[in-house]
Amino acid sequence: MLPSKGFDTPFLESPDTLETQRTEHPFSFQTSKDKQLNAVIVDAINRMGGVGDDAEESYRHALRSLTKWGPGVLDVIVAEYDDLPEDRYLDRWSLVQLIVELRYPEAVKPLNRIIAARIPAEKVKKSHDMSTVGEEVMIRTTAVEALVRLSADDVAEAREVLLKHAAHRTFSIRRACVQGLMQTGTDDDKRKLRRLLKERKEEGLLKIKQVDVRSVPQPIGGRFVVPPQVKSEAPPPDLRATRE
Amino acid sequence: MASCTYTVPDKAASGDNFYGAVICNQVYVDYFWNTYGFSGNKAYWDDGWGWDDCCNTSKPLARAFNGCYALTYSASDYLNDSYSAPILNWGRRYVRENIDDLRCFCGDGTAIARSKSGGLVEVYLGFFYSKDVPGRAETLIHESRHQGGKPHDANFPSGSVFGSGKSGADSSWDYEGAWMYGALYLWWYYATGARTTSALRERARQRGNLVIDNAFATHPGFSI
Repeated sequence: MLPSKGFDTPFLESPDTLETQRTEHPFSFQTSKDKQLNAVIVDAINRMGGVGDDAEESYRHALRSLTKWGPGVLDVIVAEYDDLPEDRYLDRWSLVQLIVELRYPEAVKPLNRIIAARIPAEKVKKSHDMSTVGEEVMIRTTAVEALVRLSADDVAEAREVLLKHAAHRTFSIRRACVQGLMQTGTDDDKRKLRRLLKERKEEGLLKIKQVDVRSVPQPIGGRFVVPPQVKSEAPPPDLRATRE
Repeated sequence: MASCTYTVPDKAASGDNFYGAVICNQVYVDYFWNTYGFSGNKAYWDDGWGWDDCCNTSKPLARAFNGCYALTYSASDYLNDSYSAPILNWGRRYVRENIDDLRCFCGDGTAIARSKSGGLVEVYLGFFYSKDVPGRAETLIHESRHQGGKPHDANFPSGSVFGSGKSGADSSWDYEGAWMYGALYLWWYYATGARTTSALRERARQRGNLVIDNAFATHPGFSI
């Protein structure tokens, strides 16, 4: 059977061209002269993106190395967050995710500052699939997750900040704070939260539940099914492992 | 013809550093090239886009392959791509069956990707450099759903980060549109994703919740 697709015929006109430049990592470490600590931070962030059966263990190992510096590491992480250009959204997010993992109570103040920081106006207004405001919101909802974990660790100041931002102007941040406080707050926290939501006529937020993915409606797939005889199986996920 | 430039950090949380070390094998390169719409489009992936340097994760082709690897292998039982399994399993099959041609362009900075007629999907710089690896898999599924016959059918709700009242939203979760497919893929990735880290799974959760909160005219009433 002949393939239905054309071969890689050279173009008569020119396609787009791209030039890439590489940097070692996105951080400047202007305030931290401890090269070993800086290297451990870079390594931990790099290992966030690990793949393979040992990816999580390698990431955990990097985090354990980082905890040897104690809560003082927060100053370096927050300084890097502040120094990164605004549009390095994934890099800024990765620093906040580090704070999530470290679970230091001393992080409450910087987390509050990150969440409270004004969200810059949308930079890609004509788009329907990308949003710089959305990137900023994900950074802040991840900071909320850090507070939720500290609240679960019985850090009262984290609950106070969650309650405060349950009135945030951005819906996703309000929703995350409400869910986090309902899950980890004391009875008194929950009373205060319900009162706040009633005052703001936002009791509907309490109805949005965190659920297991198995309990939500799943799509009906199966359009354009390829006949089994045409299907080509994917190779195993780790060819290096199968060779051994 | 457009020309564009981009500066790429080697060590970052996107996942490219590690995924890239795995996909650098002719077996994977051949499989992804022939399965996910690259074949027949060499001219687009040349001239700096990585065709002649497909293990170099600072270039778009390797970063696209990384997304294809996540798409293919993130279910622990990845060989089961039955439509009765979770979308984490059959997402790769849905992409395979709906994207005929995957082409790269600089773009004008207003889109990650666009679905064109006849099985053609275009991906732009943001796909390679602002999306993490599982996020690229999500984009391929989102665009595949458009190819599968589901355009967006509603305006974004009030307060949406995608722009209140703008077109491009799905009416509801039950519409089973591109936003639902993407969010559900991320949700399953967060819940059961294999061969990844808890950090990338948390990233998938945050992105999935952003979509659920902002991309449906009627909020589904649940979150991740």
